[in-house]
Amino acid sequence: MFYFIAKRTVISFFIMFAATTLMYFLTISSGDPFEDLGETSGPEKAAIVAARTAALNLDQPPLMRYLLWLQEVGYCIVPGGVQCTLGTDRVGNAVLPQLENAIGSTFRLVIVATVVALFLGVLVGIVTALRQYSTFDYSVTFIAFVLFSLPLFWLSTLLKQYVAIDLNTWLANPQLSYLAIAGFGLVAGLIWSVVIGGDRRRRLTVFGTAAIATSVTLFVLLVTDWFINPALGPIGILVASAAVALGWVALLAGFRRRRITYAALATAAAGYVGYLATAPLMTDPNWLIVLALLVTTILVSLAVGTIVGGPYAGQARRISVVVGVSIGLLVVADRMLQAYPTLSAKAGGRPIPTTGSESVNLAGNFWVINLDYALHLLLPTMALTLISFATYTRYTRASQLDVMNQDYIRTARAKGLSERTVLVKHAFRNAMIPITTLMAFDFAGVLGGAVITETVFGWNGMGKMFVDAIGNVDPAPVMAFFIVVGSAAVLFNMLADIAYAFLDPRITLS
Amino acid sequence: MTMNKYPQTFTDETRLADEPILTVKDLGVDFNVENTWMMAAEGVSYDIHPGEILAIVGESGSGKSMSSMALLGLLPRNGRSTGSARLLGQELIGASQSKLRKIRGNDIAMIFQEPMTALNPVLTVGEQIKEVIEQHTEASPARAKERAVELLRMVEIPDPEQRYESFPHQFSGGQRQRAMIAIALANDPILLIADEPTTALDVTVQAEVLELLRKLNRRLNSAVLLITHDMGVVADLADRVVVMEQGKIVETAPAKALFASPREPYTRRLLDAVPHLGSRVGGVLVDVEVVDGALQIHERYAETDRLRRQEHHDAGTVPALELANVDIAYPGRFRHPPTKVVHDVSFTINPGEVMGLVGESGSGKSTIARAVTGLLKTSAGRVSIAGTDITRLTTRQLLPLRKKFAIVFQDPAASLNPRLSIGDSIGEPLYLHEKLSRTALNKRVEALLEDVHLPVHFRNRYPHELSGGQRQRVGIARALSLRPSLLVADEPTSALDVSVQSKVLALLQELQREQGFACLFVSHDLAVVELLASHIAVLREGHMVEQGSTEQVLLHPQAAYTRKLLAAAPVPDPDEQAIRRNQRLALLGAGAAG
Amino acid sequence: MDKHTNSDSRARLELAERNLQTQDTEISTSGPTLDQVDQARNSGAGSAPRNTEAKSQGRLIRERFFHHRGALAGMALLALIIILAFSSIGFAGIPGWWDKEYDVLADRFNEGKPTLSLWPFSLGEHPFGQDVLGRDYFALTMRGIQTSLIIAFIVGMVGTAIGTLIGAVAGYFRGWTEAVLMRFTDVVITIPTLVIAAVMAGIVARSGIIPFAVFLGLISWTGLARIVRGEFLSLREKEFVESAKSVGAKSARIIVRHILPNTVGVIIVSATLAISGAILLETALSFLGLGVKAPDTSLGKAINDNRSALTTRPWLFLWPGVFIVAIALAVNFIGDGLRDAFDPKQTRVKQ
Repeated sequence: MFYFIAKRTVISFFIMFAATTLMYFLTISSGDPFEDLGETSGPEKAAIVAARTAALNLDQPPLMRYLLWLQEVGYCIVPGGVQCTLGTDRVGNAVLPQLENAIGSTFRLVIVATVVALFLGVLVGIVTALRQYSTFDYSVTFIAFVLFSLPLFWLSTLLKQYVAIDLNTWLANPQLSYLAIAGFGLVAGLIWSVVIGGDRRRRLTVFGTAAIATSVTLFVLLVTDWFINPALGPIGILVASAAVALGWVALLAGFRRRRITYAALATAAAGYVGYLATAPLMTDPNWLIVLALLVTTILVSLAVGTIVGGPYAGQARRISVVVGVSIGLLVVADRMLQAYPTLSAKAGGRPIPTTGSESVNLAGNFWVINLDYALHLLLPTMALTLISFATYTRYTRASQLDVMNQDYIRTARAKGLSERTVLVKHAFRNAMIPITTLMAFDFAGVLGGAVITETVFGWNGMGKMFVDAIGNVDPAPVMAFFIVVGSAAVLFNMLADIAYAFLDPRITLS
Repeated sequence: MTMNKYPQTFTDETRLADEPILTVKDLGVDFNVENTWMMAAEGVSYDIHPGEILAIVGESGSGKSMSSMALLGLLPRNGRSTGSARLLGQELIGASQSKLRKIRGNDIAMIFQEPMTALNPVLTVGEQIKEVIEQHTEASPARAKERAVELLRMVEIPDPEQRYESFPHQFSGGQRQRAMIAIALANDPILLIADEPTTALDVTVQAEVLELLRKLNRRLNSAVLLITHDMGVVADLADRVVVMEQGKIVETAPAKALFASPREPYTRRLLDAVPHLGSRVGGVLVDVEVVDGALQIHERYAETDRLRRQEHHDAGTVPALELANVDIAYPGRFRHPPTKVVHDVSFTINPGEVMGLVGESGSGKSTIARAVTGLLKTSAGRVSIAGTDITRLTTRQLLPLRKKFAIVFQDPAASLNPRLSIGDSIGEPLYLHEKLSRTALNKRVEALLEDVHLPVHFRNRYPHELSGGQRQRVGIARALSLRPSLLVADEPTSALDVSVQSKVLALLQELQREQGFACLFVSHDLAVVELLASHIAVLREGHMVEQGSTEQVLLHPQAAYTRKLLAAAPVPDPDEQAIRRNQRLALLGAGAAG
Repeated sequence: MDKHTNSDSRARLELAERNLQTQDTEISTSGPTLDQVDQARNSGAGSAPRNTEAKSQGRLIRERFFHHRGALAGMALLALIIILAFSSIGFAGIPGWWDKEYDVLADRFNEGKPTLSLWPFSLGEHPFGQDVLGRDYFALTMRGIQTSLIIAFIVGMVGTAIGTLIGAVAGYFRGWTEAVLMRFTDVVITIPTLVIAAVMAGIVARSGIIPFAVFLGLISWTGLARIVRGEFLSLREKEFVESAKSVGAKSARIIVRHILPNTVGVIIVSATLAISGAILLETALSFLGLGVKAPDTSLGKAINDNRSALTTRPWLFLWPGVFIVAIALAVNFIGDGLRDAFDPKQTRVKQ
């Protein structure tokens, strides 16, 4: 393991070195750094030319400039007293502080988009594989192809122009006609019926149930003004906790062993008590408190699983932790929703922002600030996610189909295992093995895509820094951007290999 | 372990008196392929009684596997089954999946052909045994683990506590199949369906696994439904045999009766096609005698034979192929030394002789075949073809020599370029070496097709349109197109059905007689080698164990390994196989003692 | 020995890519296919030959392709777009049936709104409206389609040629050649395509669309090189290749006659996907202002030029976008059809 990481680091270092060399010379030969001064003249021009020449070392030959830049990077790697700046841009400002400002919002965007795309893509991919050649499969395949064919900037602009504006208008006065409620119900019913599948009768039952449930829920939410003052509330959390506990048991263990179900429900109860007890602490926490509560939740869950699980303690512990963390997330979601009216009022009743990565000068508690981040992320994440989602569903579908055709799945069936065990225990883990590699590659791609999304949504992220610097033929910011993107690609590749070895015992890292 | 004290066989009368545990009546299986229903099996009917071993034999496409998968509702999604199969009165065909799930792994368990792919690579072997116990019983995880370790011990896995935590890839092929058997036996099933359980295994491992199955069958009294294409395995294990051909049952008979006097012409043809070890030289291991379980080897028989062979050795002819102290190593990579796979191998093939090169997987036999044809570099020693050492030659110098030797590969599907027509494939060596005109080339190709008894119009066909046997004939035609003086055949028939195999072997024999080329015939199957070869060389893990004339090696082998190999190969004759089984056990006993 | 012991993620992604390409196949456990059933029936060697006409691989592939509805729809759509774009405003001096030029300024008719009406069908004066300067937007869009298509096809060709060459040489010769070529590929892969294109494209684009397209081709071969190398690595171990070696065929002959024809499916599929990728890359670069430069125009540039007018004149934004999506979608469906057609294991099994 150590040897593997060391070897990969050395190789990656050389690859990065070669790539930076290539990038640097391409950048400096990509144009004239004084192009924007073409029209002006006089002493200002001479002054700017002189300043820029000094900042960019234009009096030196290209090779020297590259070596000087390398030297700046060297200061960052080797601690030696000299301040690490990653060089200066053409105005003479250090690049590193700019990068530090930009990196946070970009990574927030990229990581959220990757996680959402991965989760949805894998979920939908597996369902399409299990329902191969069904209406659902064909529809998702078609949608994936459409998403593959959408230019990211076009999609982003459409989202910004239509979705955001209409959604904001609606949220200002959340009303739906009975026809619209029925319409949503019908669409939901249709989706559920093709996902669940089965014979005609079963599909009709599913369709009816889902359509009515959706319509009624929507109706209740509207008449209770939920969209103006959204929250789960103590009762909502209680119901949701029980549902989450039973859901995880159904997915991970099945209800055959009573003790495991009891353990999950006991964890849910403990979680609910914890939710009530920590309520004062959670009105305006900080990250430290949230983290401490998370650790406590995990420890309590482990204890509950061990005590209630009895002979099945091992499995019960795992499920308890999953249930505990899920309830924690529910509580966080509840708090964020509660902060919504405050934030909406501050945003002048148009809560979905279309530009920037955060509201300027926003004063508010922990939840308001985080909800603000989340709402700013909504549209760009949606755009980035839709594109990656297509890739993940297609790969997951292919991988899952491949696994389902393997002999060991036949063996698992021949052992009389339940379909749940066959899918979750035998198929899922094997199907995820190739996805780890895909994730590494996709992450780098999404970072590239972030350049476009940031331009459309007016974020001051790394993408903007990069595009501006390219236009100015300003190598230091371009290279700073590239070092981050390239290192992320290399790092994720290595992580993918480690994850691969973790999932597949046949692989030894060496 | 003294399992062999169990009664040798129940008599057929006691069997039939019992109620059958499984009654299959008029079972049919169809597949929907491109919207047409294709029959895979129909009208299949048989009974299985408690403790009985029933074998279903047939060649590929006979529907033997699919009709058995249908019992458990495990057909692929485009398959459907009709008819009836009752397990202790309970109907299986058309039963709901939830009902079948309670039966699978509990009342009926399965063992599959390929133990590597049949076990989940990411779960430990122990976990895979444990989960089937937990699925069907109320046992706690701790209790299930105990039982799993116990099962691993029962199937004779050494160190079961430690091996419980191992992953399938850390097991050898034989051990994996033992683990499969442990999974199958976990809940003491009434019926065990074994689908080609030993086909993927080496012959010595196969003998061990068969021995284990027999032992467990006697001890647990589970009935076994054995699906196989191998008549030797049937003779070794089965009480009763069902012969299937193209989806239908041809004949059902007790094993002894079937082998002694097959009723149906198809069964007779099938049995005739199976090469019988020792049929040409008149026996195997004749100098080994088991007296009261003790082993006696009559050395003097061997001595006389060796003296006789010495006289035959003539001097002066240039051998068609001579290997002298050949080592072959695969190059190592960074931090890994080269792996040596062939150590110091020497042998000689005189013009017109056929030498059989025999060994199990990993013995280096295919590696030698590739080195002889210049596809692999040797790391030491000499490989001389018609007196020229090819190991020192450059590619260019080797080119004219390539006319003198040719190779036929194992897998007829992979050895022909799917994008070239049959005519182009056969004609390629001629085109490269003789630069013929188009018409002359076509003429030669047609003549070659006739030589291997294929219609001339096959010239314009593509490999995917041909059956396995036909493709192998094309491979032979291509190899013989330049009239080589040495033919290397690397397991040319091991991917083929027995009836096809016998025809291809006959063709090879005929061509060898006509053209008189020397042949290095690589095979794992001693019975096949015996039919063709005048001399046999036995390899084990890259070392030459023994070589000599076919008679000598089969009748009076010198090396203990050769004896083990010979004793492990099953013959299609239940009585003879019973004797050989004892011989094998005695040899193993002697080996363990000595 | 297991072949799994070394862990090279690239190799595994290749595998995954190949899996993706075979995703619609039902393998091994799915029962016999017609072909297999036939073969089983005829497996007694020397039995009477089937009296079916010989079908070459090429014909089988064509048949499969023309049974793929998505691919046919894609072909029709793409053909329609190509005919529309090239016949309407003409190409290379040959005049078309549309009477307006894309670069002629005119008065705005009806505030530049589109005059296209579908029922009853009529094009009107300016079917796609006019841009801020009064240029006929239909002619402009058609011109943009021409440019984008030309760029995409050139990128596809150049990228495919380089990728195939590098992948084939690396996969066949192994050793140092492979190490050098693949490390080089790694270096290029480390830089996201959009990033490397953004750095240089602005400059190259000034000298015209052809150099621009060739440049994009020069940087978008890495994926194909890895796939082709993977194919070569597995094919070079196949017995038919050994068989060709054993009769003395030279390396060039083995690569060209024996291995390449067996990878042609993968290459063609990748080429189509490269084309749809190139359409999107070109439009993205033009959108960033780093692509096609005036006086040339392309679909991406048309959108970028009219970004500010989005709220007031949405058609200026929608029409080029619709054509980008339509072209990419058509090419993707054709690629999907080709993938299914080239896969020898392919069988559509209906339940």
